[in-house]
Amino acid sequence: MTRDKEEKRRQALCINDHVDILLEILKRLDGRSLCTAACVCRLWRALATADSVWEHLCLRRIASPGSSVRPVVSALGGHRRLYMLCVRHLLTRLGRDPGSSSAWDELQLSLSLFCVDYYERLGGRFGDTAATSSLMFLCKPVNV
Amino acid sequence: MGPSSTSNAGTGKPPPPPRTELDGFLAGAGHKVRSSDLHHVAQRLERLESAMVSSPSHVVSDLTSDTVHYNPADLVSWVDSLLSELTHSYHHPNNSSAPTSSTSSSSRSLPVDLDDLFAIPSAANNWLQPEMPLSQPPQLTVFTTMEEDSGIRLVHALMTCAELVQRGDLHLAGTLVDEMTALLTRINTGCGIGKVAGYFIDALSRRVSGAGSAPASPHETEILYHHFYEASPYLKFAHFTANQAILEAFEGHDCVHVIDFSLMHGLQWPALIQALALRPGGPPILRLTGIGPPSPDGRDTLREIGHRLAELARSVNVRFAFRGVAASGLEDVKPWMLQVSPNEAVAVNSIMQMHKLLGPDPSPIEPVLSWIRGLNPRIVTLVEQEVNHNQTGFLDRFTEALYYYSTVFDSLEAACPVQPDKALADMYLQREICNIVCCEGAARIERHETLAQWRDRLNRSGFRPLPLGSNAFKQASMLLTLFSAEGYSVEENEGCLTLGWHSRPLIAASAWQASPLSAAIAGGDN
Repeated sequence: MTRDKEEKRRQALCINDHVDILLEILKRLDGRSLCTAACVCRLWRALATADSVWEHLCLRRIASPGSSVRPVVSALGGHRRLYMLCVRHLLTRLGRDPGSSSAWDELQLSLSLFCVDYYERLGGRFGDTAATSSLMFLCKPVNV
Repeated sequence: MGPSSTSNAGTGKPPPPPRTELDGFLAGAGHKVRSSDLHHVAQRLERLESAMVSSPSHVVSDLTSDTVHYNPADLVSWVDSLLSELTHSYHHPNNSSAPTSSTSSSSRSLPVDLDDLFAIPSAANNWLQPEMPLSQPPQLTVFTTMEEDSGIRLVHALMTCAELVQRGDLHLAGTLVDEMTALLTRINTGCGIGKVAGYFIDALSRRVSGAGSAPASPHETEILYHHFYEASPYLKFAHFTANQAILEAFEGHDCVHVIDFSLMHGLQWPALIQALALRPGGPPILRLTGIGPPSPDGRDTLREIGHRLAELARSVNVRFAFRGVAASGLEDVKPWMLQVSPNEAVAVNSIMQMHKLLGPDPSPIEPVLSWIRGLNPRIVTLVEQEVNHNQTGFLDRFTEALYYYSTVFDSLEAACPVQPDKALADMYLQREICNIVCCEGAARIERHETLAQWRDRLNRSGFRPLPLGSNAFKQASMLLTLFSAEGYSVEENEGCLTLGWHSRPLIAASAWQASPLSAAIAGGDN
């Protein structure tokens, strides 16, 4: 009996020892779960907040995004910010009617709005105190 | 007040609703009252409240007393008696006083002699409910009816006033403005018809008194524009649609030049720069020439915006050059200032600027259109308000403006609960209203014209339409679903896109290119 137990303990897998597997799992989560995962422990936080995981989330539905998207998004603030500010709102709002627009069109729209946001933040640096966020309209609840 | 009323014919009362379980309990407790009576009590209490608010204080104080009712049946008769007392004590004519006299209570009955001025002008008939009993004598019932009636009276008064202004009878118009201001106090001016009417009354009073509207400083205009951008989808629709058309027109070109007729804060261009950065085949060399008003205090706002855009372009690796052209109006811009070189593809972008050129003769629109055509642009993007505010007759213009801005304010109400964006966006629109109503001649710059009129004008000036395409339509529809208000609609109109509120188009976007010179001229040159 004890030998069985010992064997079982030897075979038990500690996921933190296998970061590559953990990363593969995290890449397949949705945004909310990913944020929750980032609260588990320091290792999970480091992995779940890495931009590459969020890049996966943003581009998941795109067949072949091309290599030019990543540097643009990184320059404008990163994929995690892109997801939090734009992509997730688009997914919830447009999710109601999935056939009408392609994932690439949705991503393009997200990127445009993201770029306007970056530009407005630049305004703060250039001393333009009147700059407010034009993406506020995305955060409002939808009147159904 | 028993539940069984046998004679309905004389009073016209509806048949009593069936007994509910609650009624059974009430009857069991010994109260001869139905739960449906409570609806009647609630209504009567509402009317009592408005009657008390609008009657002079001495009448109300006579009625106040501390009463405690233990039997719900007593409530109904008590409310009814209070209401009839209030009606009787107030129902004596005081119409002989002149309209501008006593200021004690804000809710006097309207003088009888002005009632005949409330006759409905024919222009108002097509979209107002016609069954307003305007000829009824001023009684308490006028004040206790719903706010809608006050709103409708106000609209009729506005039309009448506009007609008086058109006829040149400014004295009577001024009197009517005072009456309307008094009427305004009775309705909610925070939203709906009250708010719009308030702006129009203000504009009319400025016109009548000759005060005119103060011209806004460019800095103020930019701030208001920014808040209007954030509070509503109209400007975003304009920018995104124009950008999509420009992007498609620039396909295959490596040197591109965009001329923006009104740079403001440059909010349109980040999205285009980003789209060019991601286009297949890599970004072109982008030049942007921004036209804007000269800055009064030594700050070079155009250059600052240019710096910001350059910083953004650098982050996404797009080669970018900016040039600012300071001019107080488009008519002051000469083509040599734009420094267009022959090997680049040119896009001319005008978001709600061209209508300012439609002033009185000699109107600058023809020369400007002519030099635009001379630049040989790949595309000219034109976004304008979809309404005709350039009619010569004041009443027609006023009516159009009232209808148009009511719709716009309605849409803003639904889309934007965020203050202070909404308040400043309202101010942006208020300035337009003021300009349309108060100003004449060269001072009136908000001379909006419809898409059909622009089509006609551009066709005559040597342009042909460039259809906007399905990508622009898809993008616009997607953009709209992101806005929380469910009344916006994008429509396609012969290759142009319009954004409207509940199927009334409010803003129209179109694209044009220079039509080729006629064969005779081309043959003559060779």
